[in-house]
Amino acid sequence: MKELFEKQVSQLKEAHFLILYWTAKAEEKNAKYNITNIFDDLKYSGATRTKQSAVSFVESLSALCFVDVTGEGNRKHLYISPFGAKALEYLLSESKFKIKKSMFLEGSK
Amino acid sequence: MNIGIGGAGSKLASISSDGECIAINVSELELSKVEAKQKILAVTHSARGQLRGSGKNPKIGREAFGSIAEKLKQVIKGNTVFASTGGGTGNGIASEVLEYLSRLEEAVRLEDKTVFALVLPYLKRESYEYVENTIDFLGNPVSSAIDSGNTGNIILFSNKLKFEGKIPEYEYNKMLADSLNTFLAIPVKGEMYKLLDGHIDFEDFDLYRAKPYFNHFSCFSWDPDQDFETQLKANYNSLLLLPERAIEAMFLIELPTPAKASKLYDILDYFAADNVSPVYGIVHNPELKTPQITVSLLYSRKPRELVEDFKKMSDLYTRNRIKKSLEQHVVLQSSKLDKMNEARRMVEESGTNAGDVLGFLKRIGKL
Repeated sequence: MKELFEKQVSQLKEAHFLILYWTAKAEEKNAKYNITNIFDDLKYSGATRTKQSAVSFVESLSALCFVDVTGEGNRKHLYISPFGAKALEYLLSESKFKIKKSMFLEGSK
Repeated sequence: MNIGIGGAGSKLASISSDGECIAINVSELELSKVEAKQKILAVTHSARGQLRGSGKNPKIGREAFGSIAEKLKQVIKGNTVFASTGGGTGNGIASEVLEYLSRLEEAVRLEDKTVFALVLPYLKRESYEYVENTIDFLGNPVSSAIDSGNTGNIILFSNKLKFEGKIPEYEYNKMLADSLNTFLAIPVKGEMYKLLDGHIDFEDFDLYRAKPYFNHFSCFSWDPDQDFETQLKANYNSLLLLPERAIEAMFLIELPTPAKASKLYDILDYFAADNVSPVYGIVHNPELKTPQITVSLLYSRKPRELVEDFKKMSDLYTRNRIKKSLEQHVVLQSSKLDKMNEARRMVEESGTNAGDVLGFLKRIGKL
Protein backbone atom coordinates (compact mmCIF):
# COMPACT_ATOMS: atom_id res chain seq x y z
CA MET A 1 0.00 0.00 0.00
CA LYS A 2 2.88 2.30 0.87
CA GLU A 3 4.26 1.69 -2.57
CA LEU A 4 0.91 2.66 -4.14
CA PHE A 5 0.71 5.79 -2.00
CA GLU A 6 4.20 6.90 -3.01
CA LYS A 7 3.41 6.18 -6.65
CA GLN A 8 0.22 8.23 -6.41
CA VAL A 9 2.02 11.14 -4.75
CA SER A 10 4.84 11.07 -7.27
CA GLN A 11 2.28 11.55 -10.04
CA LEU A 12 0.96 14.76 -8.52
CA LYS A 13 1.63 17.98 -10.41
CA GLU A 14 2.46 21.43 -9.15
CA ALA A 15 -1.23 22.44 -9.23
CA HIS A 16 -2.13 19.43 -7.00
CA PHE A 17 0.61 20.38 -4.60
CA LEU A 18 -0.50 23.99 -4.42
CA ILE A 19 -4.14 23.00 -3.82
CA LEU A 20 -3.11 20.74 -0.97
CA TYR A 21 -0.90 23.42 0.52
CA TRP A 22 -3.45 26.21 0.19
CA THR A 23 -6.25 23.99 1.50
CA ALA A 24 -4.16 23.24 4.61
CA LYS A 25 -3.35 26.94 5.03
CA ALA A 26 -7.06 27.79 4.70
CA GLU A 27 -7.93 25.32 7.37
CA GLU A 28 -5.23 26.78 9.59
CA LYS A 29 -6.70 30.25 9.07
CA ASN A 30 -10.21 28.90 9.53
CA ALA A 31 -11.11 30.26 6.13
CA LYS A 32 -13.52 28.56 3.78
CA TYR A 33 -11.67 27.74 0.61
CA ASN A 34 -13.71 26.80 -2.45
CA ILE A 35 -13.11 25.82 -6.08
CA THR A 36 -13.56 29.40 -7.29
CA ASN A 37 -10.82 30.56 -4.92
CA ILE A 38 -8.62 27.71 -6.11
CA PHE A 39 -9.18 28.64 -9.71
CA ASP A 40 -8.28 32.30 -9.01
CA ASP A 41 -5.13 31.32 -7.15
CA LEU A 42 -4.05 28.79 -9.78
CA LYS A 43 -4.63 31.32 -12.52
CA TYR A 44 -2.66 33.96 -10.67
CA SER A 45 0.22 31.63 -9.97
CA GLY A 46 0.32 30.63 -13.63
CA ALA A 47 -0.51 26.96 -13.03
CA THR A 48 -3.61 26.98 -15.21
CA ARG A 49 -5.79 29.32 -17.19
CA THR A 50 -9.11 27.46 -17.27
CA LYS A 51 -11.65 26.64 -14.62
CA GLN A 52 -12.13 23.15 -16.08
CA SER A 53 -8.49 22.35 -15.32
CA ALA A 54 -8.87 23.70 -11.80
CA VAL A 55 -11.95 21.50 -11.31
CA SER A 56 -10.17 18.42 -12.68
CA PHE A 57 -7.22 18.99 -10.31
CA VAL A 58 -9.64 19.15 -7.40
CA GLU A 59 -11.57 16.07 -8.61
CA SER A 60 -8.40 14.01 -8.93
CA LEU A 61 -7.31 15.00 -5.40
CA SER A 62 -10.78 14.12 -4.17
CA ALA A 63 -10.68 10.71 -5.95
CA LEU A 64 -7.35 9.98 -4.32
CA CYS A 65 -9.01 10.90 -0.98
CA PHE A 66 -6.43 13.65 -0.43
CA VAL A 67 -9.13 16.32 0.00
CA ASP A 68 -12.71 16.28 1.21
CA VAL A 69 -15.09 18.35 -0.82
CA THR A 70 -18.12 19.25 1.21
CA GLY A 71 -21.04 21.62 0.88
CA GLU A 72 -23.99 22.08 -1.38
CA GLY A 73 -24.40 23.39 -4.92
CA ASN A 74 -21.66 25.62 -6.11
CA ARG A 75 -20.40 26.45 -2.64
CA LYS A 76 -18.23 23.39 -2.14
CA HIS A 77 -15.47 23.84 0.36
CA LEU A 78 -12.24 21.91 0.51
CA TYR A 79 -10.61 20.34 3.52
CA ILE A 80 -7.38 18.39 3.53
CA SER A 81 -7.70 14.72 4.54
CA PRO A 82 -5.12 12.81 6.64
CA PHE A 83 -3.91 11.17 3.37
CA GLY A 84 -3.64 14.57 1.80
CA ALA A 85 -1.66 15.81 4.80
CA LYS A 86 0.77 12.93 4.36
CA ALA A 87 1.03 13.57 0.65
CA LEU A 88 1.75 17.26 1.35
CA GLU A 89 4.39 16.32 3.93
CA TYR A 90 6.02 14.03 1.40
CA LEU A 91 6.03 16.63 -1.34
CA LEU A 92 7.42 19.30 0.99
CA SER A 93 10.21 16.98 2.15
CA GLU A 94 11.10 16.20 -1.45
CA SER A 95 11.09 19.96 -2.26
CA LYS A 96 9.71 18.96 -5.61
CA PHE A 97 7.66 22.13 -5.99
CA LYS A 98 8.06 25.66 -4.83
CA ILE A 99 5.47 27.13 -2.51
CA LYS A 100 3.49 30.03 -3.95
CA LYS A 101 1.37 32.47 -2.11
CA SER A 102 -2.42 32.24 -2.27
CA MET A 103 -3.80 35.63 -3.10
CA PHE A 104 -7.08 34.64 -1.52
CA LEU A 105 -5.55 33.64 1.78
CA GLU A 106 -2.72 36.11 2.04
CA GLY A 107 -3.83 38.95 -0.20
CA SER A 108 -0.97 41.10 -1.37
CA LYS A 109 0.93 40.83 1.90
CA MET B 1 -10.96 104.51 -46.35
CA ASN B 2 -8.79 101.81 -44.84
CA ILE B 3 -10.14 98.28 -44.65
CA GLY B 4 -8.59 95.97 -42.10
CA ILE B 5 -9.08 92.25 -42.47
CA GLY B 6 -8.38 89.91 -39.57
CA GLY B 7 -6.89 90.79 -36.20
CA ALA B 8 -3.56 92.23 -37.32
CA GLY B 9 -5.00 93.93 -40.44
CA SER B 10 -7.80 95.61 -38.47
CA LYS B 11 -5.44 96.95 -35.82
CA LEU B 12 -3.12 98.40 -38.44
CA ALA B 13 -5.99 99.88 -40.48
CA SER B 14 -7.42 101.45 -37.35
CA ILE B 15 -4.13 102.99 -36.23
CA SER B 16 -3.40 104.27 -39.75
CA SER B 17 -6.69 106.13 -39.93
CA ASP B 18 -7.41 107.00 -36.29
CA GLY B 19 -10.35 104.62 -36.25
CA GLU B 20 -11.85 105.88 -39.52
CA CYS B 21 -11.77 102.44 -41.07
CA ILE B 22 -13.76 99.31 -41.75
CA ALA B 23 -12.74 96.31 -39.67
CA ILE B 24 -13.59 92.80 -40.81
CA ASN B 25 -13.22 89.66 -38.76
CA VAL B 26 -14.83 86.27 -38.21
CA SER B 27 -14.64 86.72 -34.46
CA GLU B 28 -16.95 89.14 -32.68
CA LEU B 29 -14.55 89.24 -29.78
CA GLU B 30 -11.67 90.34 -32.01
CA LEU B 31 -13.89 92.97 -33.64
CA SER B 32 -14.82 94.40 -30.26
CA LYS B 33 -11.16 95.09 -29.55
CA VAL B 34 -10.71 97.35 -32.59
CA GLU B 35 -11.72 100.96 -32.96
CA ALA B 36 -13.43 101.26 -36.33
CA LYS B 37 -16.10 103.35 -38.00
CA GLN B 38 -17.72 100.23 -39.36
CA LYS B 39 -17.33 96.65 -38.22
CA ILE B 40 -18.24 93.73 -40.41
CA LEU B 41 -18.61 90.28 -38.93
CA ALA B 42 -17.93 87.58 -41.50
CA VAL B 43 -19.85 84.40 -40.83
CA THR B 44 -18.21 81.04 -40.67
CA HIS B 45 -19.89 77.75 -40.00
CA SER B 46 -17.09 76.77 -37.70
CA ALA B 47 -18.02 77.54 -34.09
CA ARG B 48 -14.35 77.72 -33.27
CA GLY B 49 -13.82 80.43 -35.90
CA GLN B 50 -16.83 82.47 -34.85
CA LEU B 51 -15.92 82.44 -31.21
CA ARG B 52 -12.20 82.47 -31.19
CA GLY B 53 -11.10 83.63 -34.65
CA SER B 54 -9.69 81.43 -37.35
CA GLY B 55 -6.36 80.95 -35.60
CA LYS B 56 -3.88 80.11 -38.30
CA ASN B 57 -6.30 78.44 -40.66
CA PRO B 58 -6.94 80.43 -43.87
CA LYS B 59 -9.70 77.96 -44.85
CA ILE B 60 -11.93 79.51 -42.19
CA GLY B 61 -11.25 82.99 -43.61
CA ARG B 62 -11.91 81.79 -47.16
CA GLU B 63 -15.18 80.17 -46.10
CA ALA B 64 -16.28 83.33 -44.28
CA PHE B 65 -15.60 85.49 -47.35
CA GLY B 66 -18.85 84.20 -48.93
CA SER B 67 -20.95 85.93 -46.28
CA ILE B 68 -19.48 89.38 -46.99
CA ALA B 69 -18.38 89.01 -50.61
CA GLU B 70 -20.78 91.48 -52.25
CA LYS B 71 -20.27 94.12 -49.60
CA LEU B 72 -16.50 93.75 -49.67
CA LYS B 73 -16.30 93.93 -53.46
CA GLN B 74 -17.88 97.36 -53.24
CA VAL B 75 -15.97 98.81 -50.29
CA ILE B 76 -12.49 97.89 -51.54
CA LYS B 77 -12.87 100.10 -54.60
CA GLY B 78 -10.24 102.82 -54.50
CA ASN B 79 -9.31 101.93 -50.92
CA THR B 80 -6.46 100.27 -49.05
CA VAL B 81 -6.77 96.78 -47.66
CA PHE B 82 -4.65 95.83 -44.66
CA ALA B 83 -4.06 92.18 -43.86
CA SER B 84 -1.52 89.89 -42.32
CA THR B 85 -0.39 87.10 -44.64
CA GLY B 86 0.28 84.66 -41.83
CA GLY B 87 -2.99 84.56 -39.93
CA GLY B 88 -6.18 82.75 -40.85
CA THR B 89 -8.74 85.51 -41.41
CA GLY B 90 -6.46 88.09 -43.05
CA ASN B 91 -4.87 85.54 -45.33
CA GLY B 92 -8.13 83.70 -46.13
CA ILE B 93 -10.35 86.70 -46.93
CA ALA B 94 -7.57 88.68 -48.66
CA SER B 95 -6.82 85.59 -50.81
CA GLU B 96 -10.44 85.49 -51.93
CA VAL B 97 -10.40 89.24 -52.69
CA LEU B 98 -7.22 88.93 -54.75
CA GLU B 99 -8.57 85.91 -56.60
CA TYR B 100 -11.80 87.75 -57.30
CA LEU B 101 -9.79 90.68 -58.74
CA SER B 102 -7.67 88.41 -60.90
CA ARG B 103 -10.76 86.70 -62.35
CA LEU B 104 -12.40 89.95 -63.46
CA GLU B 105 -12.76 90.00 -67.21
CA GLU B 106 -12.90 93.77 -67.46
CA ALA B 107 -9.90 95.75 -66.25
CA VAL B 108 -10.50 97.63 -63.00
CA ARG B 109 -10.70 101.39 -63.49
CA LEU B 110 -7.72 103.34 -62.15
CA GLU B 111 -9.75 105.12 -59.49
CA ASP B 112 -11.18 101.79 -58.31
CA LYS B 113 -7.85 100.05 -57.87
CA THR B 114 -7.23 98.63 -54.41
CA VAL B 115 -3.92 99.04 -52.63
CA PHE B 116 -2.89 96.10 -50.49
CA ALA B 117 -0.78 96.66 -47.41
CA LEU B 118 0.34 93.22 -46.30
CA VAL B 119 2.23 92.31 -43.18
CA LEU B 120 4.62 89.40 -43.66
CA PRO B 121 5.82 87.28 -40.73
CA TYR B 122 9.44 87.27 -39.62
CA LEU B 123 10.78 83.85 -40.48
CA LYS B 124 13.21 83.56 -37.61
CA ARG B 125 10.69 84.21 -34.88
CA GLU B 126 7.18 83.48 -36.03
CA SER B 127 5.47 80.14 -36.22
CA TYR B 128 5.87 77.72 -39.07
CA GLU B 129 2.13 77.96 -39.91
CA TYR B 130 2.44 81.71 -40.50
CA VAL B 131 5.32 81.11 -42.90
CA GLU B 132 3.48 78.31 -44.74
CA ASN B 133 0.36 80.48 -45.06
CA THR B 134 2.48 83.32 -46.43
CA ILE B 135 4.14 81.07 -49.00
CA ASP B 136 0.72 79.96 -50.27
CA PHE B 137 -0.55 83.51 -50.26
CA LEU B 138 2.36 85.03 -52.17
CA GLY B 139 2.61 82.10 -54.56
CA ASN B 140 -1.02 81.96 -55.61
CA PRO B 141 -3.47 84.84 -54.94
CA VAL B 142 -0.86 87.64 -55.02
CA SER B 143 0.88 86.23 -58.05
CA SER B 144 -2.30 85.92 -60.12
CA ALA B 145 -3.62 89.32 -59.00
CA ILE B 146 -0.41 91.01 -60.13
CA ASP B 147 -0.48 89.15 -63.45
CA SER B 148 -4.04 90.37 -63.98
CA GLY B 149 -3.00 93.99 -63.39
CA ASN B 150 -6.18 94.59 -61.41
CA THR B 151 -4.62 95.67 -58.13
CA GLY B 152 -2.99 98.89 -57.09
CA ASN B 153 0.34 99.03 -55.27
CA ILE B 154 1.19 96.13 -53.03
CA ILE B 155 3.07 97.14 -49.92
CA LEU B 156 4.99 94.39 -48.19
CA PHE B 157 5.57 95.23 -44.57
CA SER B 158 7.85 92.93 -42.64
CA ASN B 159 7.72 92.02 -38.96
CA LYS B 160 11.49 91.66 -38.90
CA LEU B 161 12.24 94.94 -37.14
CA LYS B 162 9.49 94.31 -34.62
CA PHE B 163 11.17 91.15 -33.38
CA GLU B 164 14.77 92.27 -33.76
CA GLY B 165 14.08 95.62 -32.14
CA LYS B 166 11.79 94.01 -29.51
CA ILE B 167 9.09 96.58 -30.22
CA PRO B 168 5.62 96.17 -28.67
CA GLU B 169 2.85 95.48 -31.18
CA TYR B 170 0.99 98.76 -30.76
CA GLU B 171 4.17 100.82 -31.15
CA TYR B 172 5.23 98.80 -34.17
CA ASN B 173 1.84 99.23 -35.82
CA LYS B 174 2.16 102.95 -35.14
CA MET B 175 5.54 102.93 -36.89
CA LEU B 176 4.05 101.13 -39.91
CA ALA B 177 1.13 103.55 -40.00
CA ASP B 178 3.40 106.61 -39.71
CA SER B 179 5.63 105.33 -42.45
CA LEU B 180 2.68 104.71 -44.77
CA ASN B 181 1.12 108.05 -43.92
CA THR B 182 4.40 109.82 -44.74
CA PHE B 183 4.20 108.31 -48.21
CA LEU B 184 0.50 109.20 -48.52
CA ALA B 185 1.29 112.80 -47.50
CA ILE B 186 3.30 113.42 -50.70
CA PRO B 187 0.46 115.09 -52.65
CA VAL B 188 -0.73 116.92 -49.53
CA LYS B 189 2.70 118.49 -49.11
CA GLY B 190 2.71 119.32 -52.80
CA GLU B 191 -0.42 121.35 -52.22
CA MET B 192 0.59 122.75 -48.82
CA TYR B 193 4.08 124.11 -49.51
CA LYS B 194 5.53 126.43 -52.08
CA LEU B 195 6.55 124.50 -55.15
CA LEU B 196 10.17 124.90 -56.27
CA ASP B 197 10.26 122.38 -59.10
CA GLY B 198 8.18 119.58 -60.56
CA HIS B 199 4.79 118.75 -59.12
CA ILE B 200 2.97 115.75 -57.71
CA ASP B 201 -0.73 116.44 -57.56
CA PHE B 202 -3.43 114.09 -56.27
CA GLU B 203 -4.13 112.85 -59.76
CA ASP B 204 -0.47 111.92 -60.33
CA PHE B 205 -0.37 110.30 -56.95
CA ASP B 206 -3.55 108.23 -57.48
CA LEU B 207 -2.25 107.11 -60.87
CA TYR B 208 0.99 106.03 -59.21
CA ARG B 209 -0.84 104.15 -56.44
CA ALA B 210 -2.98 102.38 -59.01
CA LYS B 211 -0.02 100.61 -60.60
CA PRO B 212 0.09 96.87 -59.89
CA TYR B 213 3.64 96.74 -58.53
CA PHE B 214 5.31 96.37 -55.18
CA ASN B 215 5.88 99.70 -53.54
CA HIS B 216 8.87 100.43 -51.33
CA PHE B 217 8.91 103.89 -49.81
CA SER B 218 11.28 105.61 -47.49
CA CYS B 219 11.74 109.05 -45.96
CA PHE B 220 15.13 110.35 -44.81
CA SER B 221 17.30 113.42 -44.37
CA TRP B 222 18.94 114.12 -47.66
CA ASP B 223 22.36 115.62 -48.05
CA PRO B 224 22.40 117.25 -51.52
CA ASP B 225 26.22 117.10 -51.60
CA GLN B 226 26.45 113.33 -51.10
CA ASP B 227 25.92 110.54 -53.61
CA PHE B 228 22.17 109.82 -53.81
CA GLU B 229 22.48 106.08 -54.44
CA THR B 230 24.59 105.61 -51.31
CA GLN B 231 22.11 107.60 -49.25
CA LEU B 232 19.12 105.73 -50.66
CA LYS B 233 20.62 102.30 -49.99
CA ALA B 234 21.57 103.32 -46.49
CA ASN B 235 18.03 104.51 -45.84
CA TYR B 236 15.87 101.77 -47.25
CA ASN B 237 12.76 101.44 -45.13
CA SER B 238 13.47 98.71 -42.59
CA LEU B 239 9.72 98.24 -42.05
CA LEU B 240 9.34 96.98 -45.63
CA LEU B 241 10.91 94.19 -47.63
CA LEU B 242 13.98 95.36 -49.51
CA PRO B 243 13.21 96.55 -53.04
CA GLU B 244 14.53 95.29 -56.34
CA ARG B 245 15.60 97.59 -59.18
CA ALA B 246 12.92 100.20 -59.62
CA ILE B 247 10.83 100.28 -62.74
CA GLU B 248 9.00 103.41 -61.70
CA ALA B 249 9.71 105.95 -58.99
CA MET B 250 8.39 109.00 -57.24
CA PHE B 251 10.11 111.41 -54.90
CA LEU B 252 9.33 114.57 -53.03
CA ILE B 253 12.13 116.78 -51.76
CA GLU B 254 11.42 119.20 -48.94
CA LEU B 255 14.00 121.95 -48.62
CA PRO B 256 14.25 124.35 -45.67
CA THR B 257 15.69 126.98 -48.05
CA PRO B 258 15.21 127.18 -51.79
CA ALA B 259 18.95 126.68 -52.36
CA LYS B 260 20.31 123.39 -53.70
CA ALA B 261 17.12 122.69 -55.64
CA SER B 262 19.23 122.05 -58.69
CA LYS B 263 20.73 118.98 -56.99
CA LEU B 264 17.59 117.15 -57.94
CA TYR B 265 19.16 116.52 -61.33
CA ASP B 266 21.67 114.19 -59.68
CA ILE B 267 18.72 112.12 -58.50
CA LEU B 268 17.14 112.15 -61.93
CA ASP B 269 20.48 110.99 -63.36
CA TYR B 270 20.54 108.11 -60.90
CA PHE B 271 17.10 106.91 -62.03
CA ALA B 272 17.85 107.60 -65.70
CA ALA B 273 20.64 105.02 -65.54
CA ASP B 274 17.87 102.44 -65.05
CA ASN B 275 15.63 104.05 -67.67
CA VAL B 276 13.28 105.29 -64.99
CA SER B 277 11.66 108.72 -65.28
CA PRO B 278 10.35 109.48 -61.81
CA VAL B 279 7.41 111.63 -60.90
CA TYR B 280 8.87 114.27 -58.62
CA GLY B 281 8.30 117.50 -56.80
CA ILE B 282 10.41 119.89 -54.74
CA VAL B 283 8.78 122.07 -52.13
CA HIS B 284 9.98 124.68 -49.72
CA ASN B 285 9.21 123.52 -46.18
CA PRO B 286 10.46 126.20 -43.78
CA GLU B 287 9.63 124.04 -40.75
CA LEU B 288 12.54 121.73 -41.54
CA LYS B 289 16.16 122.27 -40.55
CA THR B 290 17.70 119.91 -43.09
CA PRO B 291 16.51 118.78 -46.50
CA GLN B 292 14.27 115.72 -46.46
CA ILE B 293 13.30 113.34 -49.22
CA THR B 294 10.43 110.88 -49.49
CA VAL B 295 11.18 108.29 -52.18
CA SER B 296 8.95 105.56 -53.50
CA LEU B 297 10.18 102.78 -55.75
CA LEU B 298 7.85 100.54 -57.70
CA TYR B 299 9.40 97.21 -58.50
CA SER B 300 7.94 94.22 -60.17
CA ARG B 301 9.95 91.41 -58.79
CA LYS B 302 7.77 88.45 -59.41
CA PRO B 303 6.20 87.10 -56.26
CA ARG B 304 7.36 83.64 -57.30
CA GLU B 305 10.91 84.78 -56.64
CA LEU B 306 9.74 86.18 -53.35
CA VAL B 307 8.15 82.84 -52.59
CA GLU B 308 11.40 81.09 -53.44
CA ASP B 309 13.15 83.28 -50.88
CA PHE B 310 10.53 82.41 -48.31
CA LYS B 311 10.80 78.73 -49.19
CA LYS B 312 14.56 78.80 -48.96
CA MET B 313 14.42 80.47 -45.58
CA SER B 314 11.61 78.20 -44.45
CA ASP B 315 13.59 75.10 -45.52
CA LEU B 316 16.66 76.38 -43.74
CA TYR B 317 14.81 76.94 -40.49
CA THR B 318 12.98 73.65 -40.79
CA ARG B 319 16.32 71.89 -41.27
CA ASN B 320 17.72 73.67 -38.24
CA ARG B 321 14.68 72.71 -36.21
CA ILE B 322 14.98 69.08 -37.28
CA LYS B 323 18.70 69.11 -36.49
CA LYS B 324 18.01 70.52 -33.09
CA SER B 325 15.28 68.01 -32.38
CA LEU B 326 17.64 65.20 -33.42
CA GLU B 327 20.31 66.52 -31.09
CA GLN B 328 17.81 66.60 -28.29
CA HIS B 329 16.36 63.22 -29.14
CA VAL B 330 16.56 60.83 -26.24
CA VAL B 331 15.76 57.18 -26.76
CA LEU B 332 13.41 56.09 -24.03
CA GLN B 333 13.66 52.38 -23.30
CA SER B 334 10.27 50.80 -23.40
CA SER B 335 9.35 49.09 -20.18
CA LYS B 336 9.65 45.35 -20.47
CA LEU B 337 7.93 44.76 -17.17
CA ASP B 338 5.18 42.23 -17.55
CA LYS B 339 2.81 42.89 -14.68
CA MET B 340 1.56 39.32 -14.52
CA ASN B 341 5.05 37.82 -14.46
CA GLU B 342 6.18 40.37 -11.94
CA ALA B 343 3.23 39.50 -9.70
CA ARG B 344 4.08 35.83 -9.99
CA ARG B 345 7.69 36.51 -9.13
CA MET B 346 6.59 38.45 -6.07
CA VAL B 347 4.29 35.62 -5.10
CA GLU B 348 7.16 33.18 -5.31
CA GLU B 349 9.45 35.45 -3.36
CA SER B 350 6.93 36.07 -0.61
CA GLY B 351 7.73 34.34 2.57
CA THR B 352 5.94 31.06 3.21
CA ASN B 353 6.75 28.66 5.96
CA ALA B 354 5.98 25.04 5.11
CA GLY B 355 6.84 23.93 8.65
CA ASP B 356 3.95 25.91 10.06
CA VAL B 357 1.45 24.02 7.93
CA LEU B 358 2.81 20.63 8.87
CA GLY B 359 2.83 21.64 12.56
CA PHE B 360 -0.79 22.67 12.24
CA LEU B 361 -1.77 19.40 10.50
CA LYS B 362 -0.07 17.47 13.30
CA ARG B 363 -1.89 19.48 15.93
CA ILE B 364 -5.26 18.73 14.43
CA GLY B 365 -4.40 15.06 14.09
CA LYS B 366 -4.29 14.82 10.33
CA LEU B 367 -0.62 13.89 10.40
